[in-house]
Amino acid sequence: MSTPNGSVPDRLRVLTAVVEDHPGVLTRVSGMIRRRGFNIQSLSVGPTDEPGRSRLTLTVDAGHAEVDQVQKQLDRLIEVIEVEDLTEAPRLSRELALVKLAVTGPRRDRAVAEVDRFGGRLVDVGAATVIVEVSGEFERVECFLEALRPYEIVELARSGPVAMRSGTPAKQEVSQ
Amino acid sequence: MTGADIVLEALQREGVDRIFGYPGGANLPIYQQLPRYPKLEHVLVRHEQGAAHMADGYARAGGRPGVVFATSGPGALNTITGLCTAYMDSVPVVAITGQQNTNLVGRDAFQESDVIGCSMPVTKHNYMVKRVEDIARVIQEAFHIATTGRPGPVLIDICKDVQQASCEPVWSDGIDLPGYRPSFEPDLSKLEEAAAALARADRPVILAGHGVILSGGEEELISVAEKSVTPTGTTLLGVGAFPVRHPLALHMTGFMGTGWNLKAVQNADLLMMVGMRVDDRVTAKLSEWAPKVETFIHIDIDPSEMGKNVRPHLEVVADAKTALQAMLPHVSIEQPERRRSWLTQIDRWREEHPLKYVRSNGHLQPQDVMIEMYRRCDNEAIVVADVGQNQIWAALWWNYTKPGLFINSGGAGTMGFAFPAAIGAKMARPDKPVWCVAGEGGFVMTAQELSVAVKHRLDVKVVLLNNFSLGMVRQFQDDFYGGVRSEVDLSEMPDFVKLADAYGLPGICVQSVDQIKPAFDFAQRTAGPVLIDFRIDPNANVYPIVPLGRGLNDFWELPDEYA
Repeated sequence: MSTPNGSVPDRLRVLTAVVEDHPGVLTRVSGMIRRRGFNIQSLSVGPTDEPGRSRLTLTVDAGHAEVDQVQKQLDRLIEVIEVEDLTEAPRLSRELALVKLAVTGPRRDRAVAEVDRFGGRLVDVGAATVIVEVSGEFERVECFLEALRPYEIVELARSGPVAMRSGTPAKQEVSQ
Repeated sequence: MTGADIVLEALQREGVDRIFGYPGGANLPIYQQLPRYPKLEHVLVRHEQGAAHMADGYARAGGRPGVVFATSGPGALNTITGLCTAYMDSVPVVAITGQQNTNLVGRDAFQESDVIGCSMPVTKHNYMVKRVEDIARVIQEAFHIATTGRPGPVLIDICKDVQQASCEPVWSDGIDLPGYRPSFEPDLSKLEEAAAALARADRPVILAGHGVILSGGEEELISVAEKSVTPTGTTLLGVGAFPVRHPLALHMTGFMGTGWNLKAVQNADLLMMVGMRVDDRVTAKLSEWAPKVETFIHIDIDPSEMGKNVRPHLEVVADAKTALQAMLPHVSIEQPERRRSWLTQIDRWREEHPLKYVRSNGHLQPQDVMIEMYRRCDNEAIVVADVGQNQIWAALWWNYTKPGLFINSGGAGTMGFAFPAAIGAKMARPDKPVWCVAGEGGFVMTAQELSVAVKHRLDVKVVLLNNFSLGMVRQFQDDFYGGVRSEVDLSEMPDFVKLADAYGLPGICVQSVDQIKPAFDFAQRTAGPVLIDFRIDPNANVYPIVPLGRGLNDFWELPDEYA
């Protein structure tokens, strides 16, 4: 698993990449990562504000390779337009977790109070279960889940982090 | 225009004059139109792997991309080994494969295979074309990608119905690939720094790889070496880049390199690596490689090579020729007398560790064959070697006094490469004699292409170093695997003279030293392909060699009593 922002071990790299939105791009990225002996810890993909381009956020274990190889090998892929290694950069990262809890009656009230305390939200209420969500940096999501552990977690979905360099623009072109 | 016509028209626009291919169900529309394009000469191979190696040899010898046609499924898959060979050695090849109809893709249709998935790890890029409007652009992009930056193979998989569909092609003047930035202007300040470090060094060494040959930077390499008075060696793929009879020549490096090269690398205080990957065959045990080097300089066109295996102190991302050219005006030497003592030391190592081989056991020695072949190459011929002992003998006995072309599968180590690659090389350079050196094991893997050499009356001379065994594997088993000879015996082989006869070319068999010269005389005065079956010493070994897992310091040589 990835670890909290700011204390990423050397071998784990956090990268973002803008890629062409073509069929097979993810295969190229994941195939290269496997081939080079790296390992994907988390990966999220979504559209950018520019049509035809997607943004990936990856947490990758560089394995036995030199850590800068992850970025360099990604950059070799023709359909990877730009890639940035944010591991050592000031960055903002957010992860979303959806948690289904089997709670009813007073236990449900206590669970919802706990969710409130962490700034989470109750997003679905069923007869025997509720679904709550939280977003935040890795550590916050971990604490949230820890707090909910006394209640019965029947299902958990985590997005993996999306990340962005904070403060100054990532690329000089951006400011032009 | 039909998609098939657009394919052929696009190839003409790219300046293609030759295609190595094999027709089948999924590329029939292209083959139907092919006769209407007489400027595109098609070479009908006997196996698609042969086509890929021919295109590879054509590209390496001619400096232009080689083109392959194959049909879907098995046809395309048969090119994979050849594409991998080109990929590992950075050779520009464009393969165009047929694919099932678009509406059948993904349904396990007849001769359907996921060629994109299969070729992804062994190509620089690949494309699946499902719209006829995309063909023109994709082919233009493919040639651009294959030939620029660090070259490599590109595969284009075109659905059959797309070949049959029609549109008006749009030929673009420029390439729009926002994620592809292949050319790098060398950082001049770094090159000045590199030149200054070279001038200051007491014991500098330059090692040159395939990048020098691919960029055509041989003369620049010689100039930099001479002006800085730096001993210069090459990798296996760099053989030919630097004249080995030059006073500064260190010849081949790596785990089967020459003793004086390895001594120089292990004692150098500066190492400048140009156009090479610094792979495990160059370094042997990495932690013991070049231990006295204080300054590593690495020049390569691929940024990902910087620090991949060895972290340089100075890195220059650029085409080797461009970088050497830009460096040259700044190159000088500070302490000529200290450099003289380094050169004297290397001369001593050259005398102490000469190339040696067994001369006295009555068997025909492969080195005698190589020496005679190179005498006849006369610094001009293209030599294409296969993989194994034959490859290393051919590399070590290379003797050119000027840059020349030595072609082999250095990265992938593909047995069966040499003969089809030699066919491609000869077609690219009909003006040059072409010698193909192969062992019998590798040769029979692609020997069916003899028909191609005969059909095109190609002057390719096959020097078969036949020891009736898998010699390199046998040597490894003898020396590193407890002497257990396991599955290396090839005594059941065809009579190669009869095989040659069956294919329609002259073949001769040579069993003793005195027959070597007459055999070469015969080969040289006979037009068209000739095969010489040299029955060599079954126990001939490659020396020097570094035992597996050890550092370069530990290289073994042939003991003097055998030499």
